[in-house]
Amino acid sequence: MPEIDLSLHVNGRKVTRRVDPGARLLDFLRDDLNLTGTKEGCGAGECGTCSVFVDGKLVKSCLMPAAKAQGTEIETVEGLARPGELEAIQKAFHKTGASQCGYCIPGMVMAATSVLREAPEASMEEIKERMGGNICRCTGYSKIIEAVALARDVVTGRATPDALEPERVGDSFIGSNVRRLDAPSKVTGRLKYAGDMVMPDMLHMAVLRSPHAHAEIVSIDTSEAEAMDGVACAITASDVPGTDGFGVFVHDQPIMARGKVRHVGEAVAAVAAENEVTARKALAKIRVEYRELPGLYDPEDALADSAPVIHDYAPDNVVKHIPLRKGDIDKGFAEAHLILEDEFATQQVEHAYLEPEAGLAYVDADDVVTVISPSQNITHHRHMLSEIIAKPINKVRFIMSPVGGGFGGKEDMIYQGMLALAAMKTYRPVRLVFTREESIIASAKRHPSRVRYRMGLTNDGRITAIKFEMLSDGGAYGMSSEGVMRKAAILSCGPYEVDNIQVDTRVVYTNNTPSGAFRTFGGMQAQFATESMMDIAAERLGLDPFEIRRINMMRAGSLTHTQQELKSASIDRVLAEAEKASRWEAGPAGMRGPERGDLGGPGTRAPCTLGARFESKAEKKGRVA
Amino acid sequence: MLSCERYEMPETLAEALALWTGAPEGAQLVAGMTDILPWAREGRAGDVELPLAIDLSRVAELNGYERHGSRLRLGANVVWQDFLDDPQLAAWLPVMPYCSVWFADDQIRQQATLAGNLVNASPAADGTPPVIALNGEVELCRLANGQLMSRTVRVEDFVTGPGKTTLAPGEIMCSVTVDCAEGYGASFQKVGQRRSLVISVACLAALVKLDASGNRYEDVRLAVGGVGPVPERLRDIEDRLRGEAPDMALIAELAEATADRVGSRSRIDYRRRVVPGFVRAALEEATDRARSARGAAAKKETVNA
Amino acid sequence: MQRKMRGRGIAASWYGIARTATVDRAGAWAELDDGGTAKVVTGVTEIGEGILTVLAQIAAEETGVRPEDVTIGDNDTARSPEAAHAGATRQTYMIGNSVALACREARDKLFAEIAEHWEVEAATLVAFDGELRAEGTNLAMSMTEAVDICKKRGVVPVGSGHFTSHGTGLDPEDGSGRPWQAYVFGTQVAEVEVDTVTGEVQVLGIWAAHDVGRAINPRGVEGQIEGGVVQGLGQALMEDYQTVDGHTTTHGFAKYILPTSLDVPEITSILVEDPDPLSPLGAKGIGEPALVPTAPAIMNAIHDAVGVRIKSLPASPEKVLAALAEKEAREAQKPAAE
Repeated sequence: MPEIDLSLHVNGRKVTRRVDPGARLLDFLRDDLNLTGTKEGCGAGECGTCSVFVDGKLVKSCLMPAAKAQGTEIETVEGLARPGELEAIQKAFHKTGASQCGYCIPGMVMAATSVLREAPEASMEEIKERMGGNICRCTGYSKIIEAVALARDVVTGRATPDALEPERVGDSFIGSNVRRLDAPSKVTGRLKYAGDMVMPDMLHMAVLRSPHAHAEIVSIDTSEAEAMDGVACAITASDVPGTDGFGVFVHDQPIMARGKVRHVGEAVAAVAAENEVTARKALAKIRVEYRELPGLYDPEDALADSAPVIHDYAPDNVVKHIPLRKGDIDKGFAEAHLILEDEFATQQVEHAYLEPEAGLAYVDADDVVTVISPSQNITHHRHMLSEIIAKPINKVRFIMSPVGGGFGGKEDMIYQGMLALAAMKTYRPVRLVFTREESIIASAKRHPSRVRYRMGLTNDGRITAIKFEMLSDGGAYGMSSEGVMRKAAILSCGPYEVDNIQVDTRVVYTNNTPSGAFRTFGGMQAQFATESMMDIAAERLGLDPFEIRRINMMRAGSLTHTQQELKSASIDRVLAEAEKASRWEAGPAGMRGPERGDLGGPGTRAPCTLGARFESKAEKKGRVA
Repeated sequence: MLSCERYEMPETLAEALALWTGAPEGAQLVAGMTDILPWAREGRAGDVELPLAIDLSRVAELNGYERHGSRLRLGANVVWQDFLDDPQLAAWLPVMPYCSVWFADDQIRQQATLAGNLVNASPAADGTPPVIALNGEVELCRLANGQLMSRTVRVEDFVTGPGKTTLAPGEIMCSVTVDCAEGYGASFQKVGQRRSLVISVACLAALVKLDASGNRYEDVRLAVGGVGPVPERLRDIEDRLRGEAPDMALIAELAEATADRVGSRSRIDYRRRVVPGFVRAALEEATDRARSARGAAAKKETVNA
Repeated sequence: MQRKMRGRGIAASWYGIARTATVDRAGAWAELDDGGTAKVVTGVTEIGEGILTVLAQIAAEETGVRPEDVTIGDNDTARSPEAAHAGATRQTYMIGNSVALACREARDKLFAEIAEHWEVEAATLVAFDGELRAEGTNLAMSMTEAVDICKKRGVVPVGSGHFTSHGTGLDPEDGSGRPWQAYVFGTQVAEVEVDTVTGEVQVLGIWAAHDVGRAINPRGVEGQIEGGVVQGLGQALMEDYQTVDGHTTTHGFAKYILPTSLDVPEITSILVEDPDPLSPLGAKGIGEPALVPTAPAIMNAIHDAVGVRIKSLPASPEKVLAALAEKEAREAQKPAAE
């Protein structure tokens, strides 16, 4: 491989190395200098986790060839404070609870450092504006921005240094704002995630993924790839010794495609090689012969008799159907004075955890096949993997690496099986790090939904009947679809006591990207429809939105939609608290915005119009755009 | 992934041109790299192998800017962040800070050049409308028989379609020259689904200058991007407004007419709705700012008098 | 209509805690250790929600040491008892309670030894913040000393605990059953500004009231609410994973739009405590509940602001503008008001 001589300063130290002309500054810092605090969240300049200072200016190191850094001074998160210490911004992040999964945090600390260097007196708006290039998926930014403002105040002397000290505890640790114990490791960038870990003699994996949504695999020939210099092994479904199949509810997914591919991006084969570049090159040498099959892309089409069958065990393409029946639905609608019908839809949503999937596997000295990965359920993964690789449970070990965000997206065992197989085939450690694009096409999404809603109410706002039908696209594999439908059904009609209910939730197989577990597991899709209907009903009946909810809310003794008696229901209290805190002005639902008196004021921010750093307050007031 | 056989960082224009003139097929000129690296990824161009990348960011002749009378020559290495950090540039080009603050984010602005934005000629390019509103011209240099030659092209003629320019083989963009718009009020409108890192469907740049009395438009500049294959200067509106008193009714009428000019192939309805609103809002805002600029200038005069 | 229009909307929600329609389980080990520290080992899956800190607080409270003195072991199938997974808003409930019970057992062993050593009733012993004393006396010692004495007496103060949540399956015909033993409720109010020229919506304020049973770490709960609200906002307004014939057109973060720091509202969290009577701690959970009401509250607020109801997410600028245009057209056709 071609190389150039690179000479520069990193965190005050002179460094000289030979590098590949195409390597990015990000790769150089992480792989050559072991400065893994700087992360690759996306590789395309969109997330900011790769931010470093180059000659005093904060840039995105995934967008910079290492060669471009010739003769420059680089500062990474590791250089901000002496090892074992935290400087003011890091202390502020610790104090406010600004770190959650921690993956975006080194980049955020760097961005905050840049803000306070460039604009030491920056207002909250200017702070936000200057940090607009850094994405966080866990925190909602509030406590991060709070931390930057706190650091600003301490550094400029507006607040004393003990503003950074932990809160004093009262007479109990329960209810106390104890600072996060993993915050120091995250704000310094010292915590290692799976993609930061290296082991001696480690191989790098790359995965060949299906370009087709639905196709038979006629043949796979990995011989050319295996023959390449630097390639240690190639694996396909034929390497699986045990019972191939994993999944949160139904084991319908092979660790690599078996017989056919069911979605674009499905793993078909993998190689393990001495470095990532070689592994990627080897993929191009794998010959796969496909015979395309008709594809299924709309969940309504999946239910048709003539629909292509995605999984032989489910000839009707239905993964799961959950019915709820309570009371007498026809009687309920007969009693209604007002009947409303409407349809709602929600989209597939990407988890977008900042840490793309990554993992390492090795076989230890006791022949225990060990997988290190940010899995959300190592218990279940171990169970499934032991069947797949045909080893006793105690000869399979899963270690959870720090998780850089999950939200349900790291529950599916979509790559750990491949790592285990490659480790078993080579008896060397193997590491796989997904690219962001790979993560997006290969991992589960939040189930999209189409809901048909029919609600009957009396004129004084009591719901007499609800008919709720939800159809969801489960995509190519079952993943958590069954559970999502179940939860959606149970929660569907909201925190209201309704005597007559008919709920049907259905999820089907298609050749789309699979849907799986994602924070609320069907709960938000279902309640989006219900809460929209409540508002529509309130408007038709001239009721305030709080009022209509109070009329129908569950109480102690209420029967839920699954006919469970509740011992208590705090819906009355949360309604009251939200109403009070927001200074809600009562009035019927409808277009009341132009007349309401409760707008603006405490609890709201000014609209963002950009330009905080150069506009005066007077200019901002006069803004029309 | 982007891979390179060779990565050169020439320090003079002569060196850069010599490399570029003799460059093998597939070689690329690069500056900030903020477009090419995201482009060389799965879902877009995929794996890209460059036999040679010529990085212009250290070519001395491309740095900095100079004023020549009423024109301002910006070296090709001027980055977007400069319009926010340099008060002189902000004063001379009052539309650029507003355009810049909508462009990507702070980190990318430190690396990305205005020239690069123009050369890439993306239909969503934010830089082109303000530059054509300022009668922008680009200077294109090349080597001919070992001699440095250059030609100047109006930006309106330079950008010919999505991703297409009249940059000829062997040419390097050395500078962008625009009108100095000191004393103008400016506005930049852009629509996005969020407030940072926004790739826009449509954008619009406006600059206005009021006459000595402050009651009439002495000059109006208006350019819109995202309504067709290339950005457009709305000269007919400019001509109609020059010499007129700022009148919201007239502006609204002229703005409505712009809906018909949308010739995009996608999301037509949306662009047709947004563009008239932009024209109105931009002119209103630019006029307000022109008034404040006059007020500030007047204050300065009385203080100095 | 002016260019910028404001409005408010609300949504209520409910959610169940721990695994659905099944029996959920978790186990933990605890040890009171040298130096007045404690070790806790359990299959805890920290994914950023702050469960490690919550467990340290619980362990500290139950054993008498300080949270910073608690070491929590790695989540490793070969080293820790089963407690995984992270999901179903279950960890504070299932693992928090398991850890509390394990710590009580370890503490009880320690107290038994110290009670004998001091010749007092074990019930009079109280430990907090690194100090152990016998109430009604002036007997006191540090936890460091206490563990030392306990061990010299030949007892290593270890404990184990497990917690069960009793959910039942659902009837296959009518779905009846008791899927959870603990429920939480929430309400969110959203205030938005709609730009009628571009269709962009900014969320300026969210007030989020959530029942968490018992807030172990209030700031941590707020962090979960803030994160959940912003994810809800993202889905409501800008996120849209799209495929055409199974191929994605949103291959990266340039096309798949996530909220930035400039897009978030002021968020006011109100924590309500309706303690769970079936568990030692009374705490329930917040991770998923925080996200449920946000999108409908925002859609209802858009309706309040401009009179259009968006029924399919996301409410992108295009959809909002199209809905506004459609509303204008409808109103133009209406006969003159009587």
